[in-house]
Amino acid sequence: MADDETTGTAAEDAALDAALAAEHAAVWGYGAVGAALGPEDRGTAAAAEAAHREVRDRLITLLDARGADPAAPEAGYELPFPVLSPVDAAALAVVLEEGVTAAWVRVLDRAVERTTRGLAVAELGAAEVRAVGWREAAGRTPVTSALPGLPTG
Amino acid sequence: MSSTPRPGPRTLTRRTLLVASAAGLAVAATGCTSSPPVAERDTVTGAQASELAAQVAVQETLVGAYETALAADPSLAAAAGVLADQAGEQLDRLRAAAPGSSPSATPPVDAPAGGDARAWLRTQVAAAASSHADAALGQTGARAALLGSIAAGLGGHEARLA
Repeated sequence: MADDETTGTAAEDAALDAALAAEHAAVWGYGAVGAALGPEDRGTAAAAEAAHREVRDRLITLLDARGADPAAPEAGYELPFPVLSPVDAAALAVVLEEGVTAAWVRVLDRAVERTTRGLAVAELGAAEVRAVGWREAAGRTPVTSALPGLPTG
Repeated sequence: MSSTPRPGPRTLTRRTLLVASAAGLAVAATGCTSSPPVAERDTVTGAQASELAAQVAVQETLVGAYETALAADPSLAAAAGVLADQAGEQLDRLRAAAPGSSPSATPPVDAPAGGDARAWLRTQVAAAASSHADAALGQTGARAALLGSIAAGLGGHEARLA
């Protein structure tokens, strides 16, 4: 990251960078999700992956413009559990979307720019809607969350 | 999956994905302040306090709408009962974040016309979600995070009611 600790957007930039890292993970993870889904559901996974790619690219552009050093994808990722069935795939998608959701809530907490809050609200909402569908596919209950991205308890 | 070269694989556990993201959210959840930047973010202006109180009223209206819809169409309870509970949980969190606000005299919500309680309820949910999302833009720190989270949660409700 750039030496932006002295700037007003240092905390915001750090949160955006963390969101970028979560988006990188989501892009990677959806490859595994799609591979384990049946043909009828692969379109949903592909659309989600495309959405995350778009946000990832937008974040890279934004951080570049601020002189920050956008997070690169990890050299490798491990799946949190074996993804061998469509239900496993949906469960992984839930993990991915919830990770992204938490990152965007943190952006909201740290943002100083109104436009950044607008981006965060939009992406947080989109991720939660996707998560609802995946929770249902994974057999989770409830499928909705009162406070997505916020710590529970 | 086998290991990959340096710097090593990242496991996509909830912990991996959420720990970093949630690190700052103890602050978001509680409104506690631990450093000047956080204190600055959580300094609430009069306008922000008024706006937050207005969002409490929006949520009170939504909770009333859930009650009205469930009364009008008891068959909705199976699908929307949990959603109604979550709307109440959201209201509790909003009230906690706006301790100066007092329960408003929320006007009674009209019963859904034409008998389509589900569609009517979805409209109410969408309106509340949009209102909270707009309000989040004018807030900072924990209040922005809370309103954004609630808006997203209600977006999920709207999808569920579709």
